[in-house]
Amino acid sequence: MSNTSVGIEELDKALMNGIPEGYTILVMGPPGAGMELFAKQFASVNEQSVTYFSTNERTGDLKAAMKKFGWNADINVVNIGTKYYENVLARKLEISRFRQEGITMKDIRQFEKGTYKEINFVTFLTYEISKLDPPFRIVIDSLDFFFENYDHHEVLSAMRTIIAHIQHKGGVALFTMLKEVYDAKTVSGVEGMVDAIIELERDREELEFRKYLVIRKVRNYPDKVKILPYSITRKGITPSL
Amino acid sequence: MDAARDRCVTGIENLDNILNGGIPRGNTVLVTGSCGTGKTTMSMEFLVHGALMGEPSLFLSVTEASDKLLKNVIPYDFFEDSLIKKGKLIFIDLPVVYELFGMTKGELDFEDIDLLVKAIADIVRDLGIKRLVIDSITSVCYQLRTEEKIRQFILKVGKSLSEYGCTSILVSEISPSSERYSLYGVEEAIADGIILMGNLQRRGDLLRTLQVVKMRGTNHSRAKYVLDLTPSGVLLVPLLKGGSI
Repeated sequence: MSNTSVGIEELDKALMNGIPEGYTILVMGPPGAGMELFAKQFASVNEQSVTYFSTNERTGDLKAAMKKFGWNADINVVNIGTKYYENVLARKLEISRFRQEGITMKDIRQFEKGTYKEINFVTFLTYEISKLDPPFRIVIDSLDFFFENYDHHEVLSAMRTIIAHIQHKGGVALFTMLKEVYDAKTVSGVEGMVDAIIELERDREELEFRKYLVIRKVRNYPDKVKILPYSITRKGITPSL
Repeated sequence: MDAARDRCVTGIENLDNILNGGIPRGNTVLVTGSCGTGKTTMSMEFLVHGALMGEPSLFLSVTEASDKLLKNVIPYDFFEDSLIKKGKLIFIDLPVVYELFGMTKGELDFEDIDLLVKAIADIVRDLGIKRLVIDSITSVCYQLRTEEKIRQFILKVGKSLSEYGCTSILVSEISPSSERYSLYGVEEAIADGIILMGNLQRRGDLLRTLQVVKMRGTNHSRAKYVLDLTPSGVLLVPLLKGGSI
């Protein structure tokens, strides 16, 4: 059975010569550790059709960042951040305008004509993923958006569905999530579901950061667990073996 | 003294007689009763008559969608389609206003109350509304929860409406066994008038009854009347005393 690359050559070697079909990786770390870069590196692998769910970056910026490293940016971006703005935040802005200025009969009739419905983005994400045909590669950058806006139970239950779908259809996926933000129950819920966990860590030594890529969990391969120092080069995240 | 205050003629013949010519203009009247007693129908008739007399009339619906309500008035002899087209009879679903203000979390706070009152007052001012019905105030009270907030809301609505010379009916739902005129007790204390509607079982018949309990600014009869809903509107006749009830 041939494995597929995670987008980082050295990490492929440290794992099982890449990862098998059906695999889900969780990348955790503090803000600014490079999780978004990792996500893009993963998305640049041209072996499956790629769908990138972005919650914080504009599509143009995301693709420009990929091109800057010379990576394949011919991917399908589903911009949840933009959709959230259009659906929820723009509505909130409108509400604050009404609350400040008051409403008129025209506003009422206008609203009656429209069919505004708040999108549940957890359901939206699950639905979008369910439509994908294998072989597919998914990036969700990041899970934090969902944990911030929805009940954790609801998010975990949707993730279980998504991961089962990925396994069943033989896709691969990478999720990013901030470290040390959530309660233990949520964290262990996510950690238990994914097949591999990679943490990005950094220490300060004098005037420099030392960066580590900690492979914390590899399902069925406990011997693969290890710590790799890495640096950011023209190739992106580059661990040294 | 009665003649001194301008009247809002309800158009319901006997009710105007009971009230010595109509509801004193600017009053806030609580129309209260259990379900099926004809509160909504009578309130609607009050608006339609107003609209026919050229007074812009507004129905603020909380419980029922207004297009459904409209179907109920069409069978009336005196109803004219043109009232709606000409903007003399206007329906607004209050939940739409809640949505516009983002009041979707259930309980409303004091700031929300001010916004709601201002919104109603602005519409009344902008459209020159002379008659208003809120059906029902009980549903609004459910969102307000506490007595202070209900008091605040009714007082403020009443005050701003009366400033614009608008006469309003607040429909209140109570259980048949209730000893009060409103669910929270606050509504009845602040209203300028109370019209009580009920059911009366008599010789195997279930009669609808109406009684004006209180009306500031006018003398009125406090007798109980029998109410009949007919295609030509509400008919009121005195309840004959005696006989076996």
